[in-house]
Order: sequence, then C-alpha cells, then structure tokens
Amino acid sequence: MATVAASPTYTDSAGSHRTGIMDWLTTVDHKKIGTLYLHTALFFFLVGGVEAVIMRAQLMGPNGTLVSAEVFNQLFTMHGTTMVFLVIMPLSAAFFNFLIPLQIGARDVAFPRLNAFSYWVYLFGGLFITIPIFFNAAPDGGWFAYTPLTGREYSPGQNLNFWVLGIQILGISSLAAAFNFATTIINMRAPGMTLMRMPMFTWMSFVVQWLIILAFPVITIALFFMQFDRFFGTNFYAVSAGADPLLWQHLFWIFGHPEVYILILPAFGLVSEVLPTYSRKPLFGYAVVAYSGILIGFLGFGVWAHHMFAVGMGPIADTVFGVTTMLIAIPTGVKIFNWIFTMWGGSIRFTTAMKFAIALIAMFTIGGISGITHAAPPSDMQQTDTYYIVAHFHYVLYGGAIMGIFAGLYHYFPKWYGRKMDERLGTWHFWLNFIAFNLTFFPMHFAGMLGMPRRIYTYDAGQGWELFNRLSSYGAFLMAPAFLIFLWNFFRSKTRGEVAGDNPWDAATLEWSIPSPPPEYNFAQIPMVTSRYPLWDITHPERMAGIPHSAEGWDDAKQRTGEHVTSGGKHEADVAPMHIESERRSAKELGIPMPNPTIKPLWVAAGILVLFSSLPVMYAGKNMIAFAMMAIGGSMFVGFLYAWLTTPMEDAH
Amino acid sequence: MAHTAAESHAPTHHYTTTGLDNRKVAIWMFIGSECMLFASLISTYLIYKGKNLVGPLPHEAWTNPQTGQVMPAILDIPVTSVSTFVLLMSSLSMVLALAAVENRGKPVPPGLGGRILSSSKLWLFMTCLMGAIFLGFQAYEFTSFVHEGLTIRRNLFGSSFFTLTGFHGAHVTAGVIWLGTLLAIDMKRGLQPKDAVWVDIAALYWHFVDVVWIAIFTLVYLIQ
Amino acid sequence: MTGIFRPRQLAAIVAAALPLLLAACSGQYPNSTFTQLTDFNRDANGLWNTMMFWATIVFVFVEVLLVYVMFKFRRRPGGPEPVQTHGNTKLELTWTVLPAVILVFIAVPTVKSIWRFQSGAPANALQVDVIGHQWWWEFRYPEQNIVTANELYLPIGRPVNFTLRSADVIHSFWIPQLAGKRDLMRNRTNTLWFTPDSVTPQAFNGSCNEFCGASHANMRFRAYTVSQADFDSWAAGQAANAIFPVAPPAAAPAGATATTVAATTQDTVAAAAPTAGYAFPLSELPPHVLPKTPIPAGLTIADDVLAAGDAQRGFQQYSRSSCIGCHKIRGNPSSLGVIGPDLTHLGSRHTLAAGLFPNDARHLALWIKNARKMKPLASTSMPTLGMGEIDPILKTTVTAGLGGLTDQQISDIVAYLMTLK
Repeated sequence: MATVAASPTYTDSAGSHRTGIMDWLTTVDHKKIGTLYLHTALFFFLVGGVEAVIMRAQLMGPNGTLVSAEVFNQLFTMHGTTMVFLVIMPLSAAFFNFLIPLQIGARDVAFPRLNAFSYWVYLFGGLFITIPIFFNAAPDGGWFAYTPLTGREYSPGQNLNFWVLGIQILGISSLAAAFNFATTIINMRAPGMTLMRMPMFTWMSFVVQWLIILAFPVITIALFFMQFDRFFGTNFYAVSAGADPLLWQHLFWIFGHPEVYILILPAFGLVSEVLPTYSRKPLFGYAVVAYSGILIGFLGFGVWAHHMFAVGMGPIADTVFGVTTMLIAIPTGVKIFNWIFTMWGGSIRFTTAMKFAIALIAMFTIGGISGITHAAPPSDMQQTDTYYIVAHFHYVLYGGAIMGIFAGLYHYFPKWYGRKMDERLGTWHFWLNFIAFNLTFFPMHFAGMLGMPRRIYTYDAGQGWELFNRLSSYGAFLMAPAFLIFLWNFFRSKTRGEVAGDNPWDAATLEWSIPSPPPEYNFAQIPMVTSRYPLWDITHPERMAGIPHSAEGWDDAKQRTGEHVTSGGKHEADVAPMHIESERRSAKELGIPMPNPTIKPLWVAAGILVLFSSLPVMYAGKNMIAFAMMAIGGSMFVGFLYAWLTTPMEDAH
Repeated sequence: MAHTAAESHAPTHHYTTTGLDNRKVAIWMFIGSECMLFASLISTYLIYKGKNLVGPLPHEAWTNPQTGQVMPAILDIPVTSVSTFVLLMSSLSMVLALAAVENRGKPVPPGLGGRILSSSKLWLFMTCLMGAIFLGFQAYEFTSFVHEGLTIRRNLFGSSFFTLTGFHGAHVTAGVIWLGTLLAIDMKRGLQPKDAVWVDIAALYWHFVDVVWIAIFTLVYLIQ
Repeated sequence: MTGIFRPRQLAAIVAAALPLLLAACSGQYPNSTFTQLTDFNRDANGLWNTMMFWATIVFVFVEVLLVYVMFKFRRRPGGPEPVQTHGNTKLELTWTVLPAVILVFIAVPTVKSIWRFQSGAPANALQVDVIGHQWWWEFRYPEQNIVTANELYLPIGRPVNFTLRSADVIHSFWIPQLAGKRDLMRNRTNTLWFTPDSVTPQAFNGSCNEFCGASHANMRFRAYTVSQADFDSWAAGQAANAIFPVAPPAAAPAGATATTVAATTQDTVAAAAPTAGYAFPLSELPPHVLPKTPIPAGLTIADDVLAAGDAQRGFQQYSRSSCIGCHKIRGNPSSLGVIGPDLTHLGSRHTLAAGLFPNDARHLALWIKNARKMKPLASTSMPTLGMGEIDPILKTTVTAGLGGLTDQQISDIVAYLMTLK
C-alpha cells in the first residue's frame, strides 16, 4: 500500500492511463475537464478583451477612423457573444466541473463521458464562431441578433450563418452539461448531504442548471427558425411575408433574461464560499440565501420583456414587466445584506479572493441600482440602447460575474493545483482591475444619460461625449495590463507558487477535506455528512454551536451502500464518517472503479462540427461539397456515438 | 444518454441519493427541457395563426385575389384522427413492453394471453410499428399538402406548421430508432430486468412524444 | 495584506473619481436627457429623481456599511475568535420588507407615468409619420401634405404625435432632450407623443438607437422647435411644389425632355406666387447641430468647377440622370422615385445624409460623386456616380456607360438642387 504524500510538483490527477496530449483529449475526469474549460475560457477572455480594446481605441475620440463600420460591428457582436457564451458561461462551467462533485462528496459527475462531450462541443463551437473574424466575416448583427436585420434579406453575407450555427452548437454543449450537473446534484450527494446542507456554490449551480434546462430550448427553437429562414427560405422572421418582427425578440429574451442569471448566480455562489471562509463565520442566513437564489431564478423567467420597453407593448405589459422586474431587487438585496452580515462580527482576512468578493458586493450594488432605474419603463425609454445600459450590465456582469469568478479562481487555485497564487501580484491585479473597471464603465453612465446611443462605431465632435469616451478608453487600456498580470500570476503559480496544503484557507466544505490537487477518485471513502460545514465539525467544532446536526439520510445510505458492497464484493466499504483524507493512493490500489479515458466523445463532437459546417458551404452554393460534408459529419456522429454507447464506461470488475 | 447499455451489466456500486438511476433522473429533466422546446414551437404556430398574407390556410378556403384560384382548407382531420389513434395505441403497447421486461424471470401467466402479454419482443415491435405507421401518415400528409400548394416557404402557416409537426415527427423517428435498437438487443440476447431502466427511459420518452402530439392535435387540428 | 485600503490606493481611487465628478458638473451636454423641455421629460426626470433619491440612500447605506465592516472586523493579530451567528430572522425580514416598501414608492409614479403617455395623444396633437429607412429618416406631415427627410419642425406648445413605422429593419427614434425613444418596425405601428412646451426656438439632435446595420451610427436627424407662425410658414413652403424659376428655353431640345420642360414651365408659373417658406436660420444653429464629420481622404471637387455649376443645366442633367429613379421632386414631373429621400425642398435643409454632413454645395457634390465612400451604404441605396470613382461596394470604376457624371455635371446638378428652398 504505497502512500504518496501531496507532492509539490504534482500537477495532474494521478493514475491516468495515457500521458501528454492524449491524456487531455481522452479524459473523462471532471477535474481535468474543468481545467480544459478554464484554459479555453481564459483564451477566449483574451480574445474578447482584445476586441473590447480595439473598440475603445476607435471610440476614444470623435469620428474615429481606426476601424471601419463593418469591422466595428463585427467587434461588438463578437465581444458580446464571446464574453457571454465563450467566457463567463464556460468559466462557470469550469467551476461546476471542478467543484460540484468535490463539494457534494462524489467521485465524478453522473455522466463522465457526456461531460467530456460537452467540453469538446464548446471548444468546437467557440472556434467555429470566432475564426471567421480573421476573414472579416464574423457575425455582425449584435449578440442579440434582432430580426429582420439578421435575416437573409438584410444580411445576405455568411457572417450571421456563423452566429446562428455557432450558438446552436454551444447550446448543445450547455444543455448536455446542464442535464449532467443537475443529475449529479440530485443523485450523487454524499450520505447526509441534504439539499439544505449543500455548499452555497452547489446550490446556485443547481439553480443555474435548471435555468439552462428550461431557457436554452427556447433559444434553440428561435435559432432553428432563423436557420430555416436563412438556409431554407421559411418565413418565421420574414416581414415581407407578414412575420412579426417581435417574435424573435420575445423568444430571445425569454432565453436571454434567465441567461443573465445563468451568468451571475455561479459567481454569487463562489463569493458565498469565499466570504464565510475569510470571515471565519458561517454564511449568514444560509436558507434565505438559497431561497433567494431560487426566487431570482424563478422570477427571471417572468421579466424578459423589460428588455423591450421601447418596442411599444402597450401600458399593461409595461406595467406588469416593470413591476415584476422591480421585485427581483428584493431577493438580490437580501443576498447583498446576508453577505455583509456574514462579514459582520467576523475576523476578516483580506486575501486577494476576499478583495474580489467584496468588490462584487460593492460593484454589483451599483449595477443593481442602475437596473432599478430602467425597470421603470418611462425612465427606461430614455436609457435603453444607450451607453447607460452598457454601463449597467458591465457593472452586473464584470463587477458581478467576473469579480466573483476571479474571487473563485484565487480561492480555489490551491485546491486545483496544490499551490497558491501569488498574493502580491494578486493585489496588483485586484487594484489595477478595480480602478480600470470603474474608469472604463462609470463614465458610460454619463455618456448614456447625455444622449450617446449604443453600438455606434463613430460619433460627431461637440456632442458632450468626448471626455467620457476618453476616460472609458483609458480604463480599457488599463484593464489589459491588469488581466495580463493575472495571466502571468496564474501560469507562474501553477509550478512556482507556494505549496498550499490540503486546506490552506481553513474552509468548511468537503472539497477541502481531501488532498490538493484532489486524487482522481476524489474521496477514498465517501464522507457521511452531519451538517452544513462538515469540515469545521472536525477542525472548528466551536464554530458549529448554532448549526443543526443530524444523521439524516444516513441509515438509508448505509443500507443501500451495504447492498452494493455485497454485490460488488471487491472493494472496501465506500462510506465512512466525516474524516480528513491526506493520503494519496491510486484508484486501483483502493479498488475504486474509474471510468476509462475515451476519445469517442471528442469524435462525436467533431461530427457535429462537420455537420454544422456543411451549411455555410451549402449557403455558398457548393452543394456537392456540402452534401459530402453532411454525409461525413453524420457518419462520424452516428458511428462514434454508437461506439461510445456500446463501450462499457469502466472495466469489468 | 451517456451511460452505456453494457455498463449496466456491472453492479451499480454508485450510491445515488434518491435511489433512482441517474439515467432516469436525467430523462425527466430532458423531458422538462423538451416541454419548453415544444411550447416555443406551439406558441409560434398559434401566434402566427390568421396572419398569413397568402393561402392555403388550415381551416378555411382561400381565394387568390389575383387569379381567382381557390385553395381549399388544408387540414384533413379524419385522416389525422386515425394516425393520432395509432400513436395513442403505441403508448399502450409501450407500457406492455416495459411490463414484460420488468417481469422477465417471473413465472409466465398460463395460456396464450399470458405468453402474449409477457413477450417484450412483440410489444416493442408493435410500438415501433405503430410509430412507423404514424410517420407514414405524416409523410402522406406532408406530400399531399405540398401538392395542394402548401410548402414550408409558402406562408407563415406553412413555415410554422411543417416545422412544428416536423420536429414532432423527428422525435417520433428518434423514438422508433431507439425502440428498434432495444428490439434488436432483445432479439439478440433478451432484455433482462436489469436492462429495464433502458426500456423505462425509452418509454418515458415515448409517452412524452405521445402527449405532445395530443397537444398538437388539439391546438393545431381541432381548434379552429 | 493588512488592510483593504492603503493610503496610496485610496489616493488612486480619488484621483480616478475626481475627473468624473468634475465632468459631471461642468461642460456642455447638448444631448442631455436631463431636461425639463417637454411633459415627457419632466415625467421621466421626476421618476429619475425619485429613483435616485432612494438609490442614493441605498447606495450610501450599503457601501458605508460595507466599508465599516471591512475596517471594523478585519483580522488583528491575536484577535478573538469571532462570535458565531448564523442568521437573524428579524434582521432578514427587515431587509426583505424595507426594499419592498421603497419599491412601492418607485412603482406608483412609474405606473402613473406609463398610463399617462401610453393612453393616446391629446386630440389636438400634430400628426407626424416617421418612417425609418436604412439609414435615413422620412418624415411626413399628413395634415399638411408634407414629405421631407432627416429634419423635423415642431411648433412650440402643441403636442406632437409620432406614428412610427419602418421600411426595412428595426430602428428607434430618439430626441434625447425632448423624449424617450420608440422603435420603428415593419408590420407594426408604434406611437410616441410629447409636448415641447418649455422650449424656445431651438435645434436638437436625434438619432437611431436600435442597431440597424452598417451605418447605424450615421442615422441621425435634427429637430427644430419653432413658433406656430414660423411652423405654418415652413409647412406652407414645404407643401408647395418645388420652385425652380426656369425661363422657357429658347430652343427646346427635341424628344425626351420636351414634355419635361413644358411641365416645368407650367409649374414655374403656378408656383410663382409663393415664396420659399420659413427655415430655421442657419446662423442660429448651435455648434453641436452642425455636423463635423470629416470628408474621406481622396474625395475632392475643384472649387472653380463647383462655382461654375449652372442650375438650368443642372435641371436638365438631373432630369435625365439615374437620380430620378429613386428621388422625388414635386414639380419636376420626371423625378418620381420613392426609394430615396424626397428632394423637393432639399435646399431648405441644413444637413445631408441623415445628419452626417452640412448641406452645402461642396458636401452635396461629393455626396453625389461618391456617397458610398462618405458613409457605409447598402448595395441598394445611393450609388457612386462620379466618373472615374471606384464604387466601394461593387469595386468597379464608374464610367459614362454606367451613368457616370463628370465634376461639371455634378456641379450643375448641385446648383439646381440648392435652389430648391
């Protein structure tokens, strides 16, 4: 029984059957897939950031000439699309992958190979939608792609084809992942990990999976309509055939508003992990924070039309959607106060992660308040489609989601890589980023309320907007080095950071009870949980006085596990009372069956890519090539899917 | 979706919180997602009802103002009622197929009736067959509509009707292939009670597709 | 790592915030939405002020609390282990109910305002039809029988009711100083009304606010608020046919143009009585209303050629050029196109190409010469007409065979169009 201590040079999960690139291409380990998501999303973050910096350079002064209208429209379309679908969602997915099984005490997700498939589809979809920008053919209809502008009549080029197909591909990835994670959370929790004991990140992720499950089909259909219109000549959005120009907007925002919560709730979850840890206190009002997350998600489906106050829906709709939108402020405010009171009376340690978490509270509050001002339709009619809105949603999505994700990255890096990120560089990153962020986006409030429309590639001199635009541009130019400092810190710390140990932040949840980085099997023995803060039960029993404890769910679990042990026969008892695991052994030694690596999900994803790529070829009139591609893509998809489904996930034992 | 038929041979050492198989939990969520998919399709159809600039129309004749040509109402409710009945019956045979697989290994009730009821092959085949018959009706319906001048490009009705029923037809097709695969496995080695979860989730999917058709049949065909 | 604010960092924040504060308190903001010029904006601003009142309270409370907590409860070496609290029902109830109460204070005036401005315009409102095009504005005054483009005249004190439609994609109509915006769509008709009751004779900028394609940024317009008397004069002038004082040519060219000339002569006689209507005086336009868009490099026309433009020749030239396929000049019977802006009183407008350039001879000539170089345009709109110019969309050189015009011909047409006051 060889025991391997957490070694500083250790970077990957132990015991993989393959090495090097093949290891990554065939992995079905949720932690490695999380790592893949993380790196890919950081790459796209850089791409989206460069797009933003070019736009800010163009708008630095009036009548800018750096890029043409054509290029600018591609830039803002791709900046929005990239940041929403290729950066924030996948960064959240990186955390879903890495954290959910660890937080709920599972050895993997419910469907490990489907998980790999989701990642490959995301990568291919991201490349499919991004690469055209190098050929001046990137989508140029805005991330919202309002019809009829995006129909074939007004956008005859290939540009929009890449958008509609690319988002469709990315939807497959998000949906597959959502079924997977929701099943994981419902079905793979450790004994005693009741819903109301789940770590708050898992809670918020759970809400997000439901939002994806229920919101993405709507955009799928809306995209199918657009696809059919563009490729097959149907009339869903064809105004000349009597189509309603608002059909797309309704479908898009029924998806699009829940999408906003899909972007922000994981970050809320992350800071709900960070704040208690560095305050040395449990989360204040755990139940209320969880319920308010559910309520935000639920209300999120009933407010979509507040994106459409300028379209003239009539006074009844404006009243209903205005008031329901204001209601969302209540659960959001509850969260803010619960976070502040988590810190209240605490013993706060200002690590970089904590700074970002506090920045989220401070900045999201600003975004929330500006959100209220355009929940009132008459006021919104002066604000919508101006730079005020740009300011608002950057305060929500950068000040909220990105700040939260940075907090999560600094916090979980030691668990991920076994080493800490450099705190000094982290402090530089935080302050530069914080200042640059406010310098970029705060002036946009002024520009918007002083009459500057959104999505314009140029503006005339003397309109009163010069100063604000110059400040915003300086801010953007400052944000770039801040991000580069982060990247440098991130990559350097992987190999040269301070060795972290298993629980460097003295945190309370299951993921910190195992070695850093976690072994491939996560838990040698699944811990039996008795409270919301299982690790503090062991390390800080004094903090757990007011927290309810029980062995709820144990008997059932023991009984069921007992059955499995007798039927499996080979391996040790799977379940043990809450404990700390610091030994690192291989799954084989422990007799824990692990899913085999497989490349098939990648090939199935590639089949989908080929299938979708055939449509732009057909659009270009090259039907024979397109049909050949369909045949190849279809065969790849069906063949590898069949091979995947008929190969056992694990070796027989 | 991702788990394999083969991996269910291995003992399920994975502890699950609910005691349900992961696949069963996942298929319920998949069905939830599909509800939103069809809700979007059906809503679009209803929103566009009566907004056509040109015929043919679903429930009433349309006269071309330029040529005077009359296009009769397009929907043929008696024919579709037959195919709807067939699809509903397929749900019944699906229930019998699942019961047959789950009861495999238990003593077969005496008599011919007992043998018929316990034949999963028969009921899987019947379900597939009825699904295929439904698809045949749909193919016939589509072809005759095109002959009557209703294409997917013709008007809003054409676009939304063909897309809605086409999506449903694609779901039936996927179901027929799925059930056909289960039938093939059953012929090859016989489905056992431990395989029941595969039949179970296929059945859930199949019933869902049926229920969606009832909604479509009511909202598109029956309500004028 | 001891505290969140080091003095140096604090100074940096203040330094960054200061220019913003200064900016907010000084300078000229000609497109500000914070005006009291119309009933609409007074309502919207009242709402804004209500919301800002509560927002400021909430903002200051939250941020001060946050900063207080950060300083008060930061870890000190040897500090005690914090007292463990897990929640407090009373507190949590308070911060659920209080925001709800605040929201009631915001929601009530919101709903009032919604119903006020969406329950139909007052009966005496001036009707204006706005039709959005990629990328210009068509304005029609159905009661006054006026069709014009990119410049609005609004009588002071009278409600104006806009009926909003689009010829193609979705646009959005916005004059920030006067009212909120409304979208223009095909297959749907929108309305927007307000009363410019607290304005002097003023000029305002307007813009398109819904992304509508390549030249979305270049889809601007102007609105002039004028006295009722000036409005009536302007309306009468705009409603009249084009006044082009051509003398009957000594030797009318035979063939195609004969009828044209005859008709024009008649119109000239008929239109001899009225003079051009009121136009907002160019000299009184504030700087922000005068376009400053630079002319693209490489696009020129010689001063002497431009000065030598002859309106009479221009009239002939215009009437047999491709211009007439898209543009209408009432009073010029060959110019019947409806795709492009109505040019009947082009000379009375101060801007060109949807508010992008000043409407003077040079800009108009260059616009005719190569419009597609001056503004990104669709392949179905204003073509490149200058001989020898390269069409940026078709990538071809314009020749005589393609209807190309020489600088001289363009100057003549410009001279003609500039007479259309």
